[in-house]
Amino acid sequence: MSPQMNDGDPAVNAAPAAALDAALDSALTRVLPSPELPADFRAGVLAAIARDAQSEALNPATRARLEREQREHLREFEAGYLQLRRRTLGTLIGGAFAAGTVVALALPWLRATVGPHTPLVLASAGAAIGLAIGISTWLGRSGLPPLQRF
Amino acid sequence: MQPAVDSAASEDRDVVELLRSEGRERAFALLLPRYERKVFRLCCALLRDPTQAQDTAQESLVRIWKGLPGYDGRASLSSWIYTITRNRCLSAIERRRARAPVNDSEAELESQIAPGTESHQSEDASAILRELIDLLPERYRRTLTLFYFEDRSVGEVARQLGSPEGTIKTTLFRARAALAQLMQQRGLDDPRLWLEGHA
Repeated sequence: MSPQMNDGDPAVNAAPAAALDAALDSALTRVLPSPELPADFRAGVLAAIARDAQSEALNPATRARLEREQREHLREFEAGYLQLRRRTLGTLIGGAFAAGTVVALALPWLRATVGPHTPLVLASAGAAIGLAIGISTWLGRSGLPPLQRF
Repeated sequence: MQPAVDSAASEDRDVVELLRSEGRERAFALLLPRYERKVFRLCCALLRDPTQAQDTAQESLVRIWKGLPGYDGRASLSSWIYTITRNRCLSAIERRRARAPVNDSEAELESQIAPGTESHQSEDASAILRELIDLLPERYRRTLTLFYFEDRSVGEVARQLGSPEGTIKTTLFRARAALAQLMQQRGLDDPRLWLEGHA
């Protein structure tokens, strides 16, 4: 940048552009002084850093606790699911055995009452009950109102 | 440009060595007094709002503190610091735009100093010059502002804005030419008007 010129400098008249440039440079120096750093600036930075360091120190502990809780929840959920599957399987097997026992015990009486087509009637009744349960279950899963409301 | 970058890198070698040998706290304690003013001035030049500049400069320094352990020395420390600062300023500008989309007052300023208004005669020359600077395109305005903030150091402005020194020199030349043109358009191109006694 060109040095500042005095009012009486002959260059002011001899080279107006250069004179304006120099005068402008000096005016810009006055108009654009370096802003002073606010007095509390560094304290503000250090306080923000301290807050950040504190939260950084807390974070690993919080993260570890949350991870532990999540692992526990997952274990509980898996155990519950397995228990449910075992219970369902047990119910199915138990139900099948119970039904077989009931049929075997009641068969002589049923033959006497229903007649020679007892096996067909029993199979049809079993299929009908099975279908009704199946339809009811699927209606329940699809969100439609239960059968008894129709 | 290269020598300026090299000198900046060598100036900060002590910080980098301290960071490797003694950790973030000691390195930051050395870095903070060295860079706080420069970071603040850069924020002032980019944001044009002292309060927002202070907040953004503090936010930048916290980012620098957090990122210091990950500083790998590929760029010079000053370039790394100024890049973080510029990015924080850009985010602040985005936030400001989102809050007040039509708040930028170039048109306002233009109407205030429209050609032919009598206020030119009575107003202080420095105030007029500030208004003219505000009328410059953003790139010219921030380069010119930072140049005077940084005691006319082209190398420092180049580092702060992340541009080659040649680009900064060209921008400064064009900014001053644009300023001179604005002055001429408004009949303010008499050098005597801008000398200290008349301001």
